[in-house]
Amino acid sequence: MLRLWPLRQVAKVQNVLGGLTQIATKSSQPVPAPELVEVFIDDKQIFVEPGTTVLQACAVAGVEIPRFCYHDRLSIAGNCRMCLVEVERSAKPVASCAMPVIKGMKVKTDSPMTRKAREGVMEFLLVNHPLDCPICDQGGECDLQDQSMAFGSDRSRFTDNAFTGKRAVEDKNIGPLIKTIMTRCIHCTRCIRFASEIAGVDDLGTSGRGTEMQVGTYVEKMFKSELSGNVIDLCPVGALTSKPYAFTARPWEIRKIESIDVMDAVGSNIVVSMRTNEVMRILPRLNEEINEEWISDKTRFAYDGLKRQRLTTPFIRVNDELVPTDWETAFVKIAEKVKSTEHASIAGVAGKFADAEAMVCLKDMINRLGGEILCTEESFPMTTSGQVFGLILIDFRSNYILNSKIAGIEQSDLILLIGTNPRLEAPLVNARIRKTWVHNEVCVALLGAPVDLSYDYQYLGDSYTVLKDLTTGKHPLCQALSKAKKPLIILGTDCLQRDDSHIILNAVRELSENVKKTCSNKDWKIFNVLQQSASQVGALDLGYQPGVQAVKTVKPQVLFMLGADAASFKRQDLCYNATIIYIGHHGDYGAQMADIVLPAAAYTEKDAIYVNTEGRVQIGRQAVSPPGVARHDWKIIRALSEILGVTLPYDKIGDVRSRLAEISPSFNYPGQVSDSGFETQAYKLQSELKPKVAEPCPNPIVPNKLKLRDFFMTDPISRASLTMAKCIQACDESEKNPYSKREAV
Amino acid sequence: MATALTTKLLGQIRISSRFIRSRAKSSVTVATGSSESELEKRDAERKDITITVNEKIDISAISGVPDEHIKTRTVRIFVPARNAMQSGTYNTRRWRMEFDERERWENPLMGWVSTGDPLSNTEVNFQSKEDAIAFCEKNGWNWFVEDEKKPKMLRKSYGANFSWNKRTRVSTK
Repeated sequence: MLRLWPLRQVAKVQNVLGGLTQIATKSSQPVPAPELVEVFIDDKQIFVEPGTTVLQACAVAGVEIPRFCYHDRLSIAGNCRMCLVEVERSAKPVASCAMPVIKGMKVKTDSPMTRKAREGVMEFLLVNHPLDCPICDQGGECDLQDQSMAFGSDRSRFTDNAFTGKRAVEDKNIGPLIKTIMTRCIHCTRCIRFASEIAGVDDLGTSGRGTEMQVGTYVEKMFKSELSGNVIDLCPVGALTSKPYAFTARPWEIRKIESIDVMDAVGSNIVVSMRTNEVMRILPRLNEEINEEWISDKTRFAYDGLKRQRLTTPFIRVNDELVPTDWETAFVKIAEKVKSTEHASIAGVAGKFADAEAMVCLKDMINRLGGEILCTEESFPMTTSGQVFGLILIDFRSNYILNSKIAGIEQSDLILLIGTNPRLEAPLVNARIRKTWVHNEVCVALLGAPVDLSYDYQYLGDSYTVLKDLTTGKHPLCQALSKAKKPLIILGTDCLQRDDSHIILNAVRELSENVKKTCSNKDWKIFNVLQQSASQVGALDLGYQPGVQAVKTVKPQVLFMLGADAASFKRQDLCYNATIIYIGHHGDYGAQMADIVLPAAAYTEKDAIYVNTEGRVQIGRQAVSPPGVARHDWKIIRALSEILGVTLPYDKIGDVRSRLAEISPSFNYPGQVSDSGFETQAYKLQSELKPKVAEPCPNPIVPNKLKLRDFFMTDPISRASLTMAKCIQACDESEKNPYSKREAV
Repeated sequence: MATALTTKLLGQIRISSRFIRSRAKSSVTVATGSSESELEKRDAERKDITITVNEKIDISAISGVPDEHIKTRTVRIFVPARNAMQSGTYNTRRWRMEFDERERWENPLMGWVSTGDPLSNTEVNFQSKEDAIAFCEKNGWNWFVEDEKKPKMLRKSYGANFSWNKRTRVSTK
């Protein structure tokens, strides 16, 4: 079809050249509210903004126009013609998705002409569509099926006079996640538009025309994107379906449980589909403030890891081997150990999937026993000097959350990414940046590894000197930063896992404070941290220390691990006769080194609170029961506390949540996010207390995840997932494919 | 099995004026023998009579729901999300209540999944969240409301696909 790339290249070059100056030239005047346009939808008078399409105006009036190619979040294609409506004094029906409203327009959405037009479109679509609904995975939740029932004819005029058979198209192989049955394709081009607009991977397209038209990659290659699974949802027919979910369940058999994802710190809203006490699939759920209606492939497809490598019964280490046992024996054994140790030598470590309830229970129990060391696995600079003494950075919430919020990215006009690869660390944050890049012409600069972010950016290098230049104002970007109306600085956490992390954080804080001084918008938050694990912000809110440094220095005798599987420390780092108690759901690093293993519930198996990187508290819902004799994490700790003689005063999950709200009031407002405060004060203290002598930072500021293959296996659930393993395999194979786009780095 | 249930606002019962009239008519006629015209007049005065019961109604004692399923359950009141696989939005127009999940197990007889939770299959839809809250209050359940998540409407134009200097220009089709 239409190839416009040469012009686009020109535009690209212009953007790169003019990217920085563009910000300055952009009009600062607020656009005055436009006069509303009066339109009549089925004789109902409504007022909409000029430029609204007829289809959107109908939606405002409460009339839903049938559509295949139109999608709210994609550009308008106008090629399926299903949205035809009659407009008074118009000879022909108009495609409502592409037609802007005109003053006084009278739209008839259910007139004989409209109905006839829809019926005609439907007939043509069905002529070229196979009648395989009974064996199609989309059956029961298919737009074509529903709309042919509602708007189609009751009979077909299709007769295969020449006995040539219906139109058939060869299936494509685009990777281990998406199953293609291309005969079913109705050429709505939603997948193509998703790939090029949202995912930023211009791989899909059409070839041929008329009956010969095909959607595909033209040469066989993998659809290499971290958001690829979303085309399954977008496909209005069964042409693109989920490979792992193929032929496993029907939509009318499954229960939908609205929950929260924990694979990254974004906290995407999801719908878990459950049947026969199994998670059948995971779909996105609309939340404009977080994930819009997309989810990453890890969120969508790692669920098969919930069925493998699970801990279903307690274990005790006997003769260096883990032996299955029952809860009572395990509890008694723990009680014996705890009784015989000095109570100050009891510590706890929370992993990346730990929920807030379990963390507060563990903290309260260990504190009641007399232990003070509670930390998370992921590190974050504790103090300005990197030593134990100094200002505790994590006392200020604004130091460790994404202050400007995910939806706030859309308002920004300059984004500086430092030491992060948002595409693989938080795919939906990256999708937001890309959306802003496409629609608002935002200028992006990156300090870190030259990774493929799916949009153009200005690469600043990866050394600390660049950051230093930025803080001192020597760097050319400083001019753009000071001119920007709403600049954003997003700091990744991979570069904060090292000993010199406080130097980087200090410098980035200083930079954002410098930018803030010149920024005209005083309420705008510039400094942002992009966290990577679902538990981190919640843990820091509850008073956990980031990083296992304290455990390594104190060498506790009894260590409770709450799903700590990142292998951040070894047994040798602890006391020589230490007892490790692992509470978690997967047999991974943590369980391997533990002496006592207590099986707990994964995120789909418990009602639990998670706090995302913006500091938004969200409640995940239980979809299935924990396997075997596994129990909910907070209940395990509650029961254990009774045996250890420090009974926690919570009997119901409601009580635990009131305790959470006691510690941090944000837990009282699930789903909402409040603005962080005290940034100026935090910075003032920080700049006073930070070491006066400039410390060197020899290591480059780079993220750990560089290529798509690094994205798939990052935690116990995805490490146990077969689908994720296949993805990595496919990524490796595509490296050998000469047609596959080389990934940067 | 979507059953739409509309309940009145918390603690308020409106008894229709018609009902009051019919009762008033019968009793008054028998007792005093007043004429019809007088009654009509009196009726007109009483036309918009409303009896408001201010105390909280709690039907949990007579609803037949076992005590353990009243005291230990929490109801989530929400608007169901649109199925991401489809474009229809009809299901997102009502408020729904659901109970917290209880344990399920594999039934040894058939291998099917069993639950001991009689409320797990309840699906009740409401016109508004106030209705849902009132229903939960009346039945003595703890509840919490999850805010409705509405899609934002974006300004779009077909011409953006072909604008020569914007990043919205499409390359492939």
